[in-house]
Amino acid sequence: MLTVSLMPALAGLVAALVLGLDGGALQRVLATPGVGLSIGTSLWTGIAATVLSLLIAHFAVAAAFTGRWRTRLTALSLPLLTIPHLAIGIGLALVIAPSGLLMRLLSPGATGLERPPDWLLVQDPLGLSMIGGLVLKESCFLILILSVALAQVPATRLLQQARTLGYGPLQAWLSVVAPALQRQIRVPLAAVLVFGISNVEMAIPLGPDLPPTFSVLLWRWFTDPDAMIHAQAYTGSLLLLLINVLALVGFFTAGGAFRFFWRRESERGQRRRCEAPQRIGIGVGLTVGWVIGTLAIVALFLRAAAGAWPFPSVLPALQHGETLRDVLQSILPVARSVAGSTLLLATGTAFVTTLLILPAAEKAAHDTRLRGNIGALLFLPLLVPQMTFLFGVQVLLTRMGLDGTYAGVLWSHAIFALPYVWGIVASARSAIDPRYDAVSRTLGASTLKTYLQVSVPLLARTLLLAIALAFAVSVALYLPTLFVGAGRIATAATEAAAASGSGSSRLAAVHAMLLAAAPLAAFALAYGIAATLFRSRTGVPR
Amino acid sequence: MTALILDNVDLRIGSESLFDPVSIVVPPGVVAVVSGPSGAGKSSLLAFISGTLPVALTSSGRLVYGDEELTELPAEVRGIGILFQDPMLFPHFNVRGNLLFGMRAGGSRRERRRRADAELDAVGLGGFGDRDPFTLSGGQKARVAILRVLLAEPRALLLDEPFTTLDNANRCKVREFVFSEIARRGLPAILVTHDSGDAAAATGPVIRLAPAEGSPR
Repeated sequence: MLTVSLMPALAGLVAALVLGLDGGALQRVLATPGVGLSIGTSLWTGIAATVLSLLIAHFAVAAAFTGRWRTRLTALSLPLLTIPHLAIGIGLALVIAPSGLLMRLLSPGATGLERPPDWLLVQDPLGLSMIGGLVLKESCFLILILSVALAQVPATRLLQQARTLGYGPLQAWLSVVAPALQRQIRVPLAAVLVFGISNVEMAIPLGPDLPPTFSVLLWRWFTDPDAMIHAQAYTGSLLLLLINVLALVGFFTAGGAFRFFWRRESERGQRRRCEAPQRIGIGVGLTVGWVIGTLAIVALFLRAAAGAWPFPSVLPALQHGETLRDVLQSILPVARSVAGSTLLLATGTAFVTTLLILPAAEKAAHDTRLRGNIGALLFLPLLVPQMTFLFGVQVLLTRMGLDGTYAGVLWSHAIFALPYVWGIVASARSAIDPRYDAVSRTLGASTLKTYLQVSVPLLARTLLLAIALAFAVSVALYLPTLFVGAGRIATAATEAAAASGSGSSRLAAVHAMLLAAAPLAAFALAYGIAATLFRSRTGVPR
Repeated sequence: MTALILDNVDLRIGSESLFDPVSIVVPPGVVAVVSGPSGAGKSSLLAFISGTLPVALTSSGRLVYGDEELTELPAEVRGIGILFQDPMLFPHFNVRGNLLFGMRAGGSRRERRRRADAELDAVGLGGFGDRDPFTLSGGQKARVAILRVLLAEPRALLLDEPFTTLDNANRCKVREFVFSEIARRGLPAILVTHDSGDAAAATGPVIRLAPAEGSPR
C-alpha cells in the first residue's frame, strides 16, 4: 500500500528535479512578465485563506461544543465538505458575480438596479473572491479535522477545570482546549496551506487574471504545445515547491509566535464573564458563510437548468414553449459524455483503496505507533504541490506505457484517497475491542472466519463512509486526471475546469452540477445503508 | 466566612434517582466527606455543586452559599474550585503559566510572575516555574494543581479524590497542606474519597450516598 502511494510520488519528485533543473528555463520563468505578482498572489491568497479558515474553524468548534450545536455543526458542514473545490468555485462565482444570485435577490428592490452593475467582483485582482471560495471549503475541512482530534484530547475535563477557575465556556475552550487540539492538526493544516497556495481548482473560476496565480500560469504552460514553454512548466513546478516550503516554514514560525502571545494573554488571568456578544457574532458569521455556500450549490443547479436567465429575476424562467423535459434533454447529452468515466474512476478508486487499506488496518489495529507512522507517510504526497510531483508521475507513467490509461489515472487517484480512507478505517478498526476477536477464536472460529464474521461487520458502517469518501475524492481530482490522463480521459472535473476556463458558464455549471451531485449521492447512499444496517443493534459502533 | 448548603439535592438519569436526596451544611473551614460505593454518584454530586453537570443528568434541590442562591448559576461565576483525581495541569503552559492562568487578574506581569514563583517556593517547588508540567512527579503535580485552584480565590473547594494517586508519604503531606489552607482561608470544603485515612483526617460531617430505593444499583 505504501508502495502504491509513495513510489510514484517520490519518483515524481525525482523526475521533476531532473527535468526541472534547467538554468535556461528558470531564466525564462523569471523573465515572464508579471511572474512576481503571480507568485505574490498565490502566497497571499493561500496564506490568507488558511489563516481565516483556521480561525473560523476554531471559533465554530468552540461555540458549538460549549453550546447546543455539537452534532449539528458537522452535519451542516458536510455538503460543503464533500462537494469538490471546482464546483464550489464555479457556484460561488454564480452567486457573487454582478449578475449573480446575491445581486438578483437584492435587485431591483434594495439596489434599484435593472441591469447588472459593472463591478469586478469575481476574479478581483486582490483575489478576495478566491479567498472566499477557499475559506468555504477549508474551514469545513478543518472543522471536521478538529472534531476528529477531540477524541485525542480530554476536552470535557480541561473545560471543566478552566470553568471552575472562573472562565466562561468560550474563553475556557479557546484558552485550554483549542491549543491542545491545534497540536493534533498540524499535518492536515499544512496540507491546507499547500493546497491554498498551489491549487488551480479555485483559481480557475475565481482567481485573478492578468496575471493569474502562479499555479494557473504553470497549468497554462503545461498545456502549451511549444516545447520551450513546456520546459518552463517543469522548472516552474520546482519553484512552486520551493515557495511552498518557504511558506510552510514562515507559517509555522508565525504560528509559534502567535501561540506565545496567546499564552501570555491567558496568563493575565483576565476573566470574561459575559460571552453573549461573542457567541452571537460567531453565530451570525457562520450563518452568513453557510448561506452563501448553500446558495453556491443552489446556483449551480439553477444555472445548469437555465437557458436564458435575464437579470434581475431570481429564478430562471422556461422560455416560450419550453418544458422541463426540454431542459433535461439539453443537459443529458453533456452529462452522459462524462458520467461514465467519472463514475468508473470513482468506483474503482473506492474499491482499490478500501482493499489496500483493510489488511494494513488489521496489522496496525493495536499498534498506535505503526498506525501513526503509516498515516503520516500516506499523507506526505498531500504536502507537496500536486503540480510538482504530477509532472514527474506523468513522465514515469509514460515510460511504463500507462499514461492516458484508466489504470494510470486510477493509480494517481488512489494516492490522494488513501490518506483519508486510512484515517477513518484504521482508527475505527483499532477502536474495536480486541476481546471480540479473542472470544471468536476461542470458540473455535478460524482467523479468516473471525475476520469476515466479526471484524468486518463491526466495521461495516465505517467502511461505507470510507468508500463514499474515496469516491468523493476521486470525483474531485482535476490535475491528476488531466496530467496522468494526458488529456485523453475526460471527467466531470476536467470538463468543468475547461468550460470554466473558457468562460462558458452554463456548460461549466452543468459539469459542476455533476461534480457536486456525485459525492452528495455517494454519501447519501452510504449514510442510508449504514442507517439500515444493524438497526436493532445498539452496541454496533456507528 | 460563610457556609455551603445543599438542600434536598436529587440527581436523576431519566426518572431514576442516583441516590436518596442529600441535605448538608458545610461550615467555613470544615471538610465534609462524601463516601459510597463506586457508581453511587459521588462525582456527579460534585459536578452538580461546581455547575458542570452533564446534560444527561437532571437535578432538583438547591445549592446555597450563605444566603446566595447558586443553583442556577454557570460554573464560572460560582467561585467554587475543584481538584480532580488527575491534576489536569494544562499541557501547553509551563508550571508558572498554569498558576498565572488560575491567579485572579490584576497586577503587572512582573508582579504576577513574582507572586507565582513565591507560591512555588512556599511548597518546596522553588525554581520549577519554567518546567514542563509533564516532567513533574505525581506529588509535585498535585501541589501545582492545589496552588492553581487557591490562586483563583474560590469561595468553596471540592476535592474529587485528589490524593488517591499519591504514594503514602506524599499523600499525608499534601493532604495536610490542603486541609490547613482550607482551615486558614475558612473555606467550606467537600471531599469525595474511598480512603478511610482521608476520611478520618477530615473534620466535618460524613455523608454516605445510599442507592435510591427502587434503584437497580
